[in-house]
Amino acid sequence: MPATTLSSISGAALSGYAGYVGRRLAQFLIVVFIGINIAYLVTHASPIDPVEQSISAVTSFGNTAPDAIEQMRNSLRELYGLGGTPVQQYLTFWKRILSADFGPSLSAFPTPVGTLIVRALPWTAGLLAVSTLVAWVLGNLLGGLAGYYRQSRGLKLMGVIAMGLHPIPYYILAMLLLILFGFIWPVLPISGGAAMNLPQSLTPEYVWSVLQHAILPALSLILIGVGSWFLGMRSLVSNVLAEDYVVYAELAGVKSWRILTSYVMRNALVPQVTGLAMSLGGIFNGAVITEKVFGYPGLGSLLVDAVYAGDYGLVLGVTTVSILGVSVGVLAIDLLYPLLDPRVKVG
Amino acid sequence: MRCIRALLLAACVLGSLVLASVAPGHAQGIPQNIPRQDLLILENPEGTVKNAGWFNIWVINASSQSNGLQQAALDTLWYIDPESGLDGVWDNSLAADKPQYNADFTEMTVKLRSGIFWSDGVEFTADDVVATVMTQIKHPAMRFSAVLTSNVASVDAPDPHTVVFKLKKPNSRFHTNFTVRWGAIWILPKHVFDKVEDPVKFDFNKPVSLGAYVLHSYDPDGKWYIWQLRDDWQRTTLARFGKPGPKYLAYVDPGPPEKRVIAQLNHELDVIHDIAPEGMFALAKQSKTTRAWFKGFPYGHPDPTLPAVIFNTQNENFRNPDVRWALALLIDIKAVAMAAYRGAATISAIGVPPTGTHPATYHAPMEDWLKSFEIDTGKRKIKPYDPTIGKQIADMLRPSMGDQIPTDPADIAKAFGRGWWKTDPVAAQELLEKAGFSKRGGAWMTPDGKPFSVRVMVEGDLRPVMTRAGTMIVQLWKQAGIDARIDVAQGTLPTRRAAGDFDTFIGWSVETWGGHPDLSYFLDSWHSQFVAEPGKPQPLRNWQRWSSPALDKIIEEIRTVGFDDPKSIELGKDYVKLAVKEMPTIPLMAYNVFTAMDQTYWTGFPTAENPYTNPVPNWGNSRYMFVRLKPAS
Repeated sequence: MPATTLSSISGAALSGYAGYVGRRLAQFLIVVFIGINIAYLVTHASPIDPVEQSISAVTSFGNTAPDAIEQMRNSLRELYGLGGTPVQQYLTFWKRILSADFGPSLSAFPTPVGTLIVRALPWTAGLLAVSTLVAWVLGNLLGGLAGYYRQSRGLKLMGVIAMGLHPIPYYILAMLLLILFGFIWPVLPISGGAAMNLPQSLTPEYVWSVLQHAILPALSLILIGVGSWFLGMRSLVSNVLAEDYVVYAELAGVKSWRILTSYVMRNALVPQVTGLAMSLGGIFNGAVITEKVFGYPGLGSLLVDAVYAGDYGLVLGVTTVSILGVSVGVLAIDLLYPLLDPRVKVG
Repeated sequence: MRCIRALLLAACVLGSLVLASVAPGHAQGIPQNIPRQDLLILENPEGTVKNAGWFNIWVINASSQSNGLQQAALDTLWYIDPESGLDGVWDNSLAADKPQYNADFTEMTVKLRSGIFWSDGVEFTADDVVATVMTQIKHPAMRFSAVLTSNVASVDAPDPHTVVFKLKKPNSRFHTNFTVRWGAIWILPKHVFDKVEDPVKFDFNKPVSLGAYVLHSYDPDGKWYIWQLRDDWQRTTLARFGKPGPKYLAYVDPGPPEKRVIAQLNHELDVIHDIAPEGMFALAKQSKTTRAWFKGFPYGHPDPTLPAVIFNTQNENFRNPDVRWALALLIDIKAVAMAAYRGAATISAIGVPPTGTHPATYHAPMEDWLKSFEIDTGKRKIKPYDPTIGKQIADMLRPSMGDQIPTDPADIAKAFGRGWWKTDPVAAQELLEKAGFSKRGGAWMTPDGKPFSVRVMVEGDLRPVMTRAGTMIVQLWKQAGIDARIDVAQGTLPTRRAAGDFDTFIGWSVETWGGHPDLSYFLDSWHSQFVAEPGKPQPLRNWQRWSSPALDKIIEEIRTVGFDDPKSIELGKDYVKLAVKEMPTIPLMAYNVFTAMDQTYWTGFPTAENPYTNPVPNWGNSRYMFVRLKPAS
C-alpha cells in the first residue's frame, strides 16, 4: 500500500488533522515547559558554586591576600546576579527566557550567553546536520538495497562492514582516524574548525579550509552513523518484503526497481524518518566527544565547560536550545506523520 | 545492480579526490601566511577560550590570561624567576629599582624606568600605575579591587617616574602584588581606560601592549592567538636582554594530550605545556628533536608547588597530629611516585617544594635536622626520616631506564628529591593507639567506636596524575585496615575545598616563588586569623584549616622583616620544623610539569642545565625565553 499524499486528504480529514495539530502543539508547549524547568532545577542543584569557581580561577596563580577574598566573593555574587530569593531567581529566569535573553555567562563575564551560543551553533549545526543527513541517506539507501537484493555479494560485504563498524566505541574510531590521517599518513587537519590565521569570511581559501577541517570529524560521525541506519533499514525492508502488497506487486509483474522504491523503501522509511527528525533535533546537544577529540568548535564543548565552571546561565542557554531543538524535531515529525503514513489516525 | 556499483564507484572516486587534494606535506595545524621559521607555536593550557575577543584582563575571570596576553603583551613592576633568571632571580621590569619601604612598612616608593612605551606610541609613566590602582579600587568587579582596597590608603605620582603608595596597615610584602610569579597585577594603559565609560564592560580589543609583542590576529572561536613582535620592541623592558628571537608567537589549543604528542611529532607545536608522563615518554622515544627540562628521566619541570595529602584538620578524626603522622607512616612514597608519575617525581618530605632555590635554602641545610628528628609513638621514640629514598627511586628505575637515571648523588637529589618518611606500619599502629584508636577484626575504629573512614578527594580525569597518587594512597591505607575511599570530585573540587567538604584531598596549599626563599607567598594565608569556622568558606590557601599559635608567631615575625632579610629564611626553617612536627599536610612531591620543547625550528629553550627561566609557557615569566631562542637553522 503506497503512502497517501496531501491531495488525497478529504475536507473531513483536514478538519481532523487541524485538531491533531492543536493537540500536538499543546503537548509540545508542555514538554518544552517541563523540560526547561527540569534543566533549571538540575542546574541549580549543582554542587558547583560559580563564585567559588571564579575565585579559584582568579586566585590559583596570583598572590591574593586571604582578607580580600570575602570582599571578592561579595562582589561576584552581586555581579553575577546571584542575590534574591529562589522564587525571585526563578521568575527572573523565565522573564529572560521569554525575551530570549539568557543573561551574561558567568565564566565569560560579561559576554551574553546568547552571543556564545550563536558563535558555536553554526559549527555544530553545520557539522552535525551534514554528517547526519549523509549518514542517513547512505545508510538507508544501502540498507534498503541490502535488504532487497539479499544475494548481492557487494551488499553482503557492506552488511559485514556495517555490523563491524556499528559496535566500535565512537571515541576509538575517532582516535583511529586521527592517528591514521593525522600522524601515519598526515594528509588531513586534526584540530580546529579552519586553518589558523585565516580571517572568518566567505573567501574560497577560508571555505576550503573549513571543508578540509570538517572531513575527519564528519567522517567519524558518518562511519558510525551509516552502520546504524544501514542495519535498521535492512531489517525494516526484510519485514516489508513479507507484506501482501509486495507479494501481489511481484505477482503482478511490477518491475523490481519500482517495487523497491515505491512499495518497499517508501514504507520502510517511515520509522527512519522519525529517527532522522530526532537526530536532527539532537544536533543542538552538540557532539561533545567529536568536538573534544577533533578540537572542533561547537555547542558540546561549550556545555561541558559551562558545567565544570558552574556557569548556570550558559548551561541553561545550551540546554534550552537543545530542548527546543529536539521538541521541534519531534513536533515536525508528528505533524508530518499522518501525511506520510495513512495508517496513523488523526481524528 | 549497475546503479549500485556506479554509486559505490563514485563514492570511492570522490573520496580519493578529496584525499588527493590534501596532499602530504600540506601545512596542517600551523598558522597560514606566516613563515614557519619566524613562528614559535606554544600551547595555551586554557584550551578553547570562550570569550575570545575579550582582552581586559583586569576584570574578574572575564578573559584568557595565558593566550599570550600576560606572556607577550603585558608588563608590571617586578618579576621573580622561579629558576635562576637571566640576570638573577629578581628583575626590575617597569620599576627601575627594588621597592623602597619606610621603617614600619606603611609606605612604599617605586622608581620607574623611563623610555618605555605602549604599542600605540604613548610613553609609560607613573600615571599608568596610579590608574591601575585607582581604576580597580573604584570598580569592585575588577580582579585586584579587593586586594588594593584593603591595602592602599592612597597612591600618588609626585613625578612621571615615581609612585608612592601609602598603605592602610603595615605590609612588608605589598610589592609582591606587582611581582610576577605566573601572573601579578598588570599595569593598564591610563590613556585608553580614561576614555572608557565602564571599565568592567570594556573588552580592550585590540589590546594596547606594553610588552614586546602586539596582537596580530585571533580566532573568534578561541582556538588560537597570534602575536607579532613590535617594530619598536627596543622601547619595552624585555629589550634589556636583547631582541626576541621569534617574530611571531602563536598560542594555540592543540586539544587532548594524545593530539599534543601528534602535533609535536609533526613539528606543528613547538612547546607543549604539559602532558601525562606516558606522553612524555612517547615523545622522548619517538622524537629526536624533543627536549624536556631534564635531558632524560624524570623529564618534567618541578613547579614551585607542593602536592600533598591535605587534611581537613577541623574534622575530629584529623585534629590529632599523631593520627596525621600515623597516616603519613603508612604511605610508601616510592609506590606513590610510581603510580602518579611512573617514577618521574621529585619528592619532598618537608613543606617546601623541591625546586628553584629551595633545595639549597631549605632541603639540603635541613637534612641533618631531619635525620635526627624523632617522634614519640607512645611506646618508643623513632627517627622516621630515611635520607635514601630519592636514591632508592633512582635505583628502582635504573634497570628499565638505563643511562637516563643519574648516578651522582647531587643529580639524583635534584631529579628525584632527597629523603622521605620510612613506611612504618608498626609505628603507625602505635600512634593510632596513642590517639585512642583501636583495631577490631583488622579494621581501625575511632576513639568513639566508629569505623575510621577516610575519603581522599581527587579531581579525576581533570588532574590524572594527582588522582593516581590519591588512588595509591587509598590502597595503602586500606591495606592497613583503614576504611579509605577515593572521592572523585571532578569540577566540584574548588567549591568543596572552600566549603571544607572533604576529609582529605590531593592538592596543594603550598606555593612559593621558587627562585626566592621567602615563603610568605603562601605562608601568610596560613595565619589563624584567616581560618574559617566549620561550614563557612575558607579563603585560600590554608585549605587544611590548620590553626597553630606557634605558626602565628612565625608568620607575625615574618611580617615585620623585609622580603630579602635573611631572617625570613630562618623563620621559614622554623615553619618547616613546626610543619614536620604537626604534619597538617603530608607533603608528597613537586608538581612536575612535562613541558616538551621541539628544537626543530628553535633552540635555546631553558633546561635543567641552563635554567635561565621557567619553560612552562603559561607563566608570565616565560617571556624571558623569547630573547634566548634562536632559529635552529
